[in-house]
Amino acid sequence: MKALILDGSREGDVLTPAAVDGMAAALAARRVAVERVALRDSAIAPCAGCFGCWTRTPGECVTADAARDIVRAYVRSDIVVYATPVTFGGYSSHLKAALDRLIPALDPRFAVVGGEVHHRLRYRRYPKTIGLGTLPAPDPEAERMFARLVARNSFDPRQAPEAAVMTGVMDPEAAWRLADHLLDRAAVPP
Amino acid sequence: MNALILLGSPKGRSSASFTLGAKLADGLRERGAAVSDGFAHHALRSGEETGRLLDAVDDAGLVVLSFPVYIDALPAPLTRLLELVAERRSCAAAPPGTTRLAVLVQCGFPEAHQCDTAVGICRLFAGRTGMRWAGALAMGMGGQLGGGIEKLPGGGKLILRALDMAAESLAKGGDIPEEAATLFAKPLIPRWMYTFIGNLGWRVLMRKNRARRPIGYRPYEQG
Repeated sequence: MKALILDGSREGDVLTPAAVDGMAAALAARRVAVERVALRDSAIAPCAGCFGCWTRTPGECVTADAARDIVRAYVRSDIVVYATPVTFGGYSSHLKAALDRLIPALDPRFAVVGGEVHHRLRYRRYPKTIGLGTLPAPDPEAERMFARLVARNSFDPRQAPEAAVMTGVMDPEAAWRLADHLLDRAAVPP
Repeated sequence: MNALILLGSPKGRSSASFTLGAKLADGLRERGAAVSDGFAHHALRSGEETGRLLDAVDDAGLVVLSFPVYIDALPAPLTRLLELVAERRSCAAAPPGTTRLAVLVQCGFPEAHQCDTAVGICRLFAGRTGMRWAGALAMGMGGQLGGGIEKLPGGGKLILRALDMAAESLAKGGDIPEEAATLFAKPLIPRWMYTFIGNLGWRVLMRKNRARRPIGYRPYEQG
């Protein structure tokens, strides 16, 4: 199995890197090959909203930067982890820049899924989505919003997403345990 | 009252977000407000422009975020700007409630409720930065807005009425009325018609762009 960890930690953030380390160790213990991308070090332009990835070069963004590699790694992974400081219930801007550029993985045509209109799936299979948020202290409202957002951002309705928020966790052992529990919930084979 | 319309679309002045924001700005000006606008994507290109936009947020009594939904949330540059506003306000300890935050948001799907998570994020941002939440106008079928509001089915009367009601209340220091939010969220055309036109539209754009791959091409598929 392969996992892609999109690390959306911000400058000066100590909690998200600790959570990412814990998740990487927990995945490795399950013999999952891990690819980590530190998004704040990646040059990812914001999505231009041009729809070129759907109507000019279908399946591939017209902007040639690190986001293309992320889409490729995403569609070839079994698991994707969205690691981020929970930012007003959502993702950090670093992670959001990468996610905005994931749309070439979808087909533009509309389809009704679960009573709502969404874009069709371009590929036959998609990774299971795991949201890994961090907060310095409990914030139930933000945690609920984060879980809701991750649930909506799983492109493939056949892959049930999972999300959890680690609050104030810096100890590597504790981060590993919490990540391992999240992988259990996500039914990642031990 | 000073109001700032903060645009979150990469398409700038040719965007649906700008069209909606400009109409609300007109309504606010007619009622005596001084209104300026700012563009998140442009402002983040240089430290100087970012600083100017953050100053404008500080000076505004009303900030209106106008943006398209990207992956159920705000576009990344607007998210970045909100992070910077939050950092600045946590340092400066802005007095709570002196700035109000309202939202104009549209998504490309037919259902207005697909804007809910984006609105929720904005609401949490307001709460965490000491701004007073003044409500949101959220609509689906944003793809219909390309030709301007007046060219919408029915002359866009529901949208225009909702924006006018919102301007009236916001100019008086109130919140966006529920009735305005309900009007704004009403589907412009039947859902089947929107998806039919949309699916046809992708094909037309592909032909215009001389796309050489089929619409469902899978460049990264393995084996």
